[in-house]
Amino acid sequence: MTHGPGEVVVTGVGLAVPGAGTPEALLRRTACPVTGPDPEPFDTAARIGRRGHRYKDRATRLALCAALDALRSADLIPADGEEVTVPGDTIGVVASSNLGNLDTACLTAAAIAERSAVDLSPMSLPNASSNVIASWVAIRHGLRGPNLMLCNGATSGLDAVHWAAALVTAGRVRRAVVIGVETRNAVVADLLGRSAGELLDGAAALVVEGARWAEARGARAVAALGPYERRAGLTGCVEALLPDGAAPGVWFTPERYAEGPAGAVPVPQAVPVPQAVPRYDVSGAVGRASGALGVLQCAAAVGWLARAGAGTGAGPEPGAGVGPEPGAGVGPEPGAGVGPEPGARVGPEPGAGLGTAFAAGPGAAPDPVPASRQALITCGDDSADAVAGLLLRPTPDRCPPHPARAALISMECSR
Amino acid sequence: MSQLVTGAGAVASVGEGVDEVFRALCAGTSGLGELRGFDRERYRTRHAYEIDDRPAPGTDVPGRATDWLLRAVGEAAAQAGLGEDLSEVPVLIGTGLRELRSAELAWRDGTPFDIGRLHFGTALRTRFGAVRTHTFSGACSASLYALALAADLLTTGAEDTVVVAGVDTLTESMYGLLDRVNSEPPDRVRPFDRDRRGVLMGDGAAAVVLRREEPGAETRALGRVRAVSMNCDANHVTAPDPQGIARAVHEAQWRAGVKPGDIDLVLLHGTGTQLNDAAEAAAIAEVFGREVSGPLMTAIKCMTGHTSGGSGLLSLIVALESLASGRVPPTLGLAEPLPEAEAFRFVREEARESGDLRVAQIDAFGFGGVNAVAIVERAGR
Repeated sequence: MTHGPGEVVVTGVGLAVPGAGTPEALLRRTACPVTGPDPEPFDTAARIGRRGHRYKDRATRLALCAALDALRSADLIPADGEEVTVPGDTIGVVASSNLGNLDTACLTAAAIAERSAVDLSPMSLPNASSNVIASWVAIRHGLRGPNLMLCNGATSGLDAVHWAAALVTAGRVRRAVVIGVETRNAVVADLLGRSAGELLDGAAALVVEGARWAEARGARAVAALGPYERRAGLTGCVEALLPDGAAPGVWFTPERYAEGPAGAVPVPQAVPVPQAVPRYDVSGAVGRASGALGVLQCAAAVGWLARAGAGTGAGPEPGAGVGPEPGAGVGPEPGAGVGPEPGARVGPEPGAGLGTAFAAGPGAAPDPVPASRQALITCGDDSADAVAGLLLRPTPDRCPPHPARAALISMECSR
Repeated sequence: MSQLVTGAGAVASVGEGVDEVFRALCAGTSGLGELRGFDRERYRTRHAYEIDDRPAPGTDVPGRATDWLLRAVGEAAAQAGLGEDLSEVPVLIGTGLRELRSAELAWRDGTPFDIGRLHFGTALRTRFGAVRTHTFSGACSASLYALALAADLLTTGAEDTVVVAGVDTLTESMYGLLDRVNSEPPDRVRPFDRDRRGVLMGDGAAAVVLRREEPGAETRALGRVRAVSMNCDANHVTAPDPQGIARAVHEAQWRAGVKPGDIDLVLLHGTGTQLNDAAEAAAIAEVFGREVSGPLMTAIKCMTGHTSGGSGLLSLIVALESLASGRVPPTLGLAEPLPEAEAFRFVREEARESGDLRVAQIDAFGFGGVNAVAIVERAGR
């Protein structure tokens, strides 16, 4: 289940999380966790209004906010509208959430036990179905392509990105919106056995698009999707993505990776990524993110690629990123945590970076981007049913023009 | 490009195993019963199509859907010669309600349940060593959606073999909310009947093994998947849109390279609700045009109840069995078809022996306007 380099790109990113409005801000917040009072909960009404949303659950409203933001940043929706500027059946939706409608299911079951089904609000009916999030995003923007809802555990967000790319690769759609969303409430906190404050209340979204279709409409790609793998453990997953121990430019770790499984002391030899590689735990910044994590990680990785792209020379982070750094890594050094050297890596660096790596174009070297320019993203750890991993790469240089591609294998439905 | 179905498994209220389920349906056996696991006094509706495997009447236990899923996948994998080792095979599961019933029990009653088992990956890993597992929660078309994604994996060459499954059980929240919105509680599912009163949920699981067709390698296949469409109405969160359904039917036939006149059998979605059956009948009538009286049509939810995310794949397995055997199960409870379906050639009252059935269409539509339609073909020449 891998995609060739450059075939599928990211053309839009959207966020609906407290305290981070852009990929760069999300990365900054991840690298340098903010202390002090939590930011205010994300105000969905400020972005999508209140009208028409009264009976939608919180997860759906957050998803609508992130999707709108992503579609706008991909130039698929004008800044002043909500209608997409391309045919609706060329766009699919893939949403990911494990916990989104748990509250509706459990509170409804409890209400029936206390009184009866007759006293329920019929307006809750749509929310009893787990795919309500993906449905509302499609309805809101007229997206008539395939509409998927992933509820696949810790890896779900990254799996969703993969399936969106699969829809594009198979020619089902030209592009798809991927949304990862989770919310917190008493039901979720109770079932997870965690305090609500530890949990994400937010959403992230991406627009993934066939490179040729992005190019055809003049859209700027902010990242290219590399291979995706789903394996039994973290080490196996990372080795499949980066053979021979190649070091990525950055590693977005599984949720609370530094804490180790179930509070165990981290075992150094089990770390599958070289210690020198900077590692970020997005869930440290936004809360435990479950099915939203993979999409949030991709959003933060887009921020990392943007910053790396602004750097000089061959390395993604000259003078900051690749060399060994005292106090970095997964160890429990005070003040360092998983985001080594807060403040050191974030912020624009002078110069231009991504010169010749893509000059050969598709069909030449199978993997033209050095590992050190790629972001490694992993979801799920050895205690989960599987680990999913994805590489995000800088976008190919589109000059000289992209050579013509062979027709897609499957027919595309575009009426 | 086509794919071969090399194994199938099914668990439903009417039986266990594909042979038993198909025999039961052809015999007109219904899984209808009074509610077994919920407190009947809390609802106006009192019936469902449940699998009778709870430890005692009126009690409920977590993890039932997972158990059926594992049994259906096990049956399909064994028939396909995969055995119990699925460590190298992707498993795509379509479900409407996951293990939400278990979550209801855990939160409301304190029943022990690991929330990490809301999706089915952990159980499939434990039983089959499966790692590349994906739980899609796509309402009532989820398992045909999963089939479409599996077909794409084979078509693009990413995989040679994929296991596709569907499963669902009743949740109290969905059952209760459906009870709330029905004007008059249904006592059975009567697809396409003028006096239909609504849907009743059913328990069940279904699974198939899908394999890329190699020239000359066709052995013991149950049938062939020609194409699967999937789209979204993007119109209403619960009500179906005949236009979206018509687009899905048309696209499936177009992808499969068949015309309405080539279809010998249609397994309708047929939930017995006012809206679905009218919308589906209108869409079928529109796409089939003058050919609408050609294919035999039936809807098995009259005997299985609405098995939600698993229903599309269960219908597909029944369709393959019908193509292979020439026997088509009846649509029970269909006294007088609704006006939009008057020209349909329904199989009624009892199973029909029909000689030469070659191509079948299977419909599945879900909340949120998610539509999927499959075209399958009899194995052999």
